[in-house]
Amino acid sequence: MANKNVSVWTSIPFWRRSAAWVTGFATILLIWLSFDTLGQITMGTDADLLNKVTKRVPAATVINYKIGYEMSKERGHEVPTIGEKQPFFGKEWSDKDAAALLHLGKLTSQAKNCMDCHTLLGNGAYYAPDLTKAWLDPAWQDGGPLQGMTGKSTVEEAIAEFLQNPSQYPTHARMMPNLGITADEAKGLVAFLKHMSSIDTNGFPRNFSKSVETFKAGGTHAR
Amino acid sequence: MGTLFEPFTDVVPSFFGWLNQGPLTLTIFLHTIIILPMFWIYFSEKKRLNK
Repeated sequence: MANKNVSVWTSIPFWRRSAAWVTGFATILLIWLSFDTLGQITMGTDADLLNKVTKRVPAATVINYKIGYEMSKERGHEVPTIGEKQPFFGKEWSDKDAAALLHLGKLTSQAKNCMDCHTLLGNGAYYAPDLTKAWLDPAWQDGGPLQGMTGKSTVEEAIAEFLQNPSQYPTHARMMPNLGITADEAKGLVAFLKHMSSIDTNGFPRNFSKSVETFKAGGTHAR
Repeated sequence: MGTLFEPFTDVVPSFFGWLNQGPLTLTIFLHTIIILPMFWIYFSEKKRLNK
């Protein structure tokens, strides 16, 4: 009977078994990946920051530190670095206060629908600049055109001032409308932005501007 | 370094991070694990149909 001309391709049990195998395996793989991701996205603790333990998502108290963005040769893209202590709105925030401020910022970003125009960590729109690394934007640093425009002397005060009166400041070809953001909400949003910039996003967004010169030349991120 | 296998540089070590270091490693792994058993399914079905 070995030479009987049979086609496996028209056999229903063959397709059924193949489909069951592929679907079953993919299901197990996706469940495994979901649990694997938890370790990657779990927020670090204040102790991690003190002990210099690198986490992809640092603790809320990272707002008390200077955030840098340095090229990593072995990874082939920029990586956020957590430097020395840096006062945030003129003080050091406790674990509890920093978490509360960050939470307020997150809720405000949702309430004001930032993602309608901006992109946060890859989610949102590209009508307005990508905010993932906005805190590190050279234009907001000392001597940068955006900080100078607000007349403030720190990044956080400059961004907070802008957020409360966005329609007064020409920051972008498509100017930001006034969203009625209060002083406290603006503080929260700045904390949210600073924390977000400290998240290791594997170099995303790719075209993040590296100097005031590139920014002035129109080379900002999110075009 | 070549592009197929690169040193592991992930922040949080994980099996999938290790697997996805190069552009082809994950693809080759998934094809191995999904396609190879399908050969076995094919031949066992053929054997069954021949009986």
